[in-house]
Amino acid sequence: MLRLIVRRLLQGIPLLLGVIIINFLLIKLVPGTLLDVMTAEQQVTDPAMIERLRHLYGMDQPAWIQLLKYIGSVMQLDLGFSYRQNMPVLDVILAHLPATLILMLTSIAIAVLVGVSAGVLSAIRVNSFWDTLISALAVLCFAAPSFWLGIMMIIFFSVKLGWFPVGGMETIGANLGPWGQVLDIAHHLVLPALALGLFYAATYTRVMRASMLEVWQMDFVRTARAKGLSRPRVIIGHTLRNALLPVVTLLGLQLGTVLGGSVVIETVFSWPGIGQVLFDSVMTRNYPVVLGVLVLSSLLVILINIVVDVVYSRLDPRIRSH
Amino acid sequence: MTPNLQRRRFLALTAGGTALVAAAKVTGISFLSNAMAASVESEIPKRGGTMVVSWGGNEPQALFVAGGGGSAPFQTSTKILERLLKLDNNLVFQPALAESITPSADFKRYTVKLREGVKWHDGQDFTADDVVFNALDHWKAISAGIALKSLTHAEAVDAHTVNLDFDVPVPEFFLKSTLAGQYQLLLPKHLYAGKEILTNPLNNRPVGTGPWKYGNWVRGSHVEYARNENYWGQGQPWLDKLIIRWWGDAASRSAALEAGELSVGYSNPVSASEIDRLVKTGKVVLDTRGYENSAWTVSVEFNQRRDFVNRREVRQALLHAIDRNFIINTIYFGRGKPAVSPIFSSNSLFFTPDVPTYSFDPEKAKQLLDQAGLPEKNGKRFTVNLLAAAWFEENAKLGQYLKQALNDVGIEVRLDSVDRATALKRIYSDYDYDIAVSNFTAPVEPVPTVTQFFTTDGIVKGAAFRNATGYSSPQMDALVAKITVETDEEKRKALIHQFAQLASTDVPIVPLVEMQSFTLANKNVRNLTTDANVQGTSLNDIGFAG
Repeated sequence: MLRLIVRRLLQGIPLLLGVIIINFLLIKLVPGTLLDVMTAEQQVTDPAMIERLRHLYGMDQPAWIQLLKYIGSVMQLDLGFSYRQNMPVLDVILAHLPATLILMLTSIAIAVLVGVSAGVLSAIRVNSFWDTLISALAVLCFAAPSFWLGIMMIIFFSVKLGWFPVGGMETIGANLGPWGQVLDIAHHLVLPALALGLFYAATYTRVMRASMLEVWQMDFVRTARAKGLSRPRVIIGHTLRNALLPVVTLLGLQLGTVLGGSVVIETVFSWPGIGQVLFDSVMTRNYPVVLGVLVLSSLLVILINIVVDVVYSRLDPRIRSH
Repeated sequence: MTPNLQRRRFLALTAGGTALVAAAKVTGISFLSNAMAASVESEIPKRGGTMVVSWGGNEPQALFVAGGGGSAPFQTSTKILERLLKLDNNLVFQPALAESITPSADFKRYTVKLREGVKWHDGQDFTADDVVFNALDHWKAISAGIALKSLTHAEAVDAHTVNLDFDVPVPEFFLKSTLAGQYQLLLPKHLYAGKEILTNPLNNRPVGTGPWKYGNWVRGSHVEYARNENYWGQGQPWLDKLIIRWWGDAASRSAALEAGELSVGYSNPVSASEIDRLVKTGKVVLDTRGYENSAWTVSVEFNQRRDFVNRREVRQALLHAIDRNFIINTIYFGRGKPAVSPIFSSNSLFFTPDVPTYSFDPEKAKQLLDQAGLPEKNGKRFTVNLLAAAWFEENAKLGQYLKQALNDVGIEVRLDSVDRATALKRIYSDYDYDIAVSNFTAPVEPVPTVTQFFTTDGIVKGAAFRNATGYSSPQMDALVAKITVETDEEKRKALIHQFAQLASTDVPIVPLVEMQSFTLANKNVRNLTTDANVQGTSLNDIGFAG
């Protein structure tokens, strides 16, 4: 197991290097620079001032030197300085990352819980009213754009019913104490986590249903049933455990897209996550922040996939033996 | 008088709500009646409370950006940092940190008398040394650009008096506008002197003299301001706490206004199509004041380095092919009016309607193009590259309309709608376009913000929102030079009228639509703004109804 983890971490190094180089080149290839944006925002008219800013941002050097310097500083665990935010890139990211992680992890938890439960229910009641209803809801959640779903939820649950706040992560200015704050964040989290999580729950429902039906036909399940095991034990102990493998695989693959999806949901719900920063940084060609976010998120995806690999091998002993 | 002018005039001069509601009926703009009634409620707000405000844009990159940084940091910094003067929404200068600014007889020296007893938020005294430091090391060096080019010397005469010396006569309105403008905020010398102003960490937790002290900035969410108990304004601010919060999405801001989570949304917080619905709920009022010194326009810029559009008669012909009323009604949902010249109709001090205009007349456009020796051959006269700077979604739509409108008079258009960074580079650095759709905002004082679109010294490669068209006219340069030093206000006004006439004749850059800016607020909010530029208001007097 330790060898697996070390191997995965080592495989991550060239991946991170690739992420840096490709994204650096992409930002350099598109027209416009941070200097164009910053001088426009600051209404700079003096050519000497433009040159001063160009030097300050390190943009008076060739692109390949900028890239090498950046890689060198990342190797020293320094993600650089963002002149746009006037603070170190790591501080910019750390100010937003916790909110994104809370949203991502809660959404994934909702997606897995709802998706697996609905998929199992749909499979054990195949072709019934429940199966049809779940399938229809899954199609709806899959087809509806998450930003639209989010806005509809805000209008219905926040504006009309007043059950949940319109946006944000916590009640501003409230002095609630530690547990009160946790509950307050949870209250704010319900709608954005549902809007993001239901899309993935729909996918898991469909995959889980198909996987359950497939495993249900297998010999070892028939044997378990012939041995007279109770129906819940056959479903949970034998079928579900084996049917979970595709969902776990899908989970590992989809983590990157959950991060992408959270960018949209963060905008709709004014969730103070990394999404807005990443969007703004791409639009302003603020490459230190773009690369910093991508390096850290790649690292995050690598780490979560290691966890998925471990879970995978726990679920299926055949993988461990390989 | 146009309906818009009439409305603004009423808002500025009338004291009774009834008269304003009646005015709204006269102008036929019934949706404003609630706002007008609210805007004239002059009671002093109750003391206390926390107010959440927002605006139609995103979070700033830093709370204060030396030299500007755009609307977002201007909004967040001006609650803490103040200027010497304020231009109110009747276009009258009001004292802020300066009690008076007086010119010498030759207008080459201005004496600034400072307010006494003002303290920085850290308890230090605000003195003349702070103003001298800012004048030389901040404004002239970084933020003012060419506006304070002629400033040669700044000297503290005593603790509360400063002399500013210039090498040419400086018009009084021009100087006061500059000092009351977006970029001339006062920083504490004792915290900034000897350090790099552009990257000072204090820019993210500024120390100022304003009604609000920096409290806490939760990145991605909001910034909290605490009441400055030692503020020089009597009894102000009225609130205990002010919060500027950001919603990244207009639909979410609309929901927050309706749900009461947001008290005030400045600078077009929701899409124009939402205004009527929100006002009809009875919870929200609309106000269009506070944008007198920051009027926005959408413009077309003709690159003088390119064939066809470098000819004045061709540019004039093309303007006859554009239906501005269609643009206003279709793209801006009626929230705007046709622009007449680079001096906007909302500029009650310098506007003149007496300029050449270009009515929508495609037949005349075709006729003028024929006369210019550009007849239609095989359904086409010539081809142009049209670049739409899509930092506003309306610009992309306008690009599509212009393509169709120019096609109708036989001009083939290759349209590119590009994002902000690309547009800035292609328009202002590479000059890579024939016609560009862009925007600019114009303060009341046209020098230098408006004039530098037309002067030869406004051509600075890489400097945005300047003369990117390459237009160069000795007549225009001489006229602007005169405006810059003319100290007689009436003569100066006449020169500015001449500027508008020449700009509207040569049409290198043409404002098409004066965009309407608006504020939406909960109906129990008082004193939404008394400033001519709402984004720079310190919100010292805002509060809840008693």
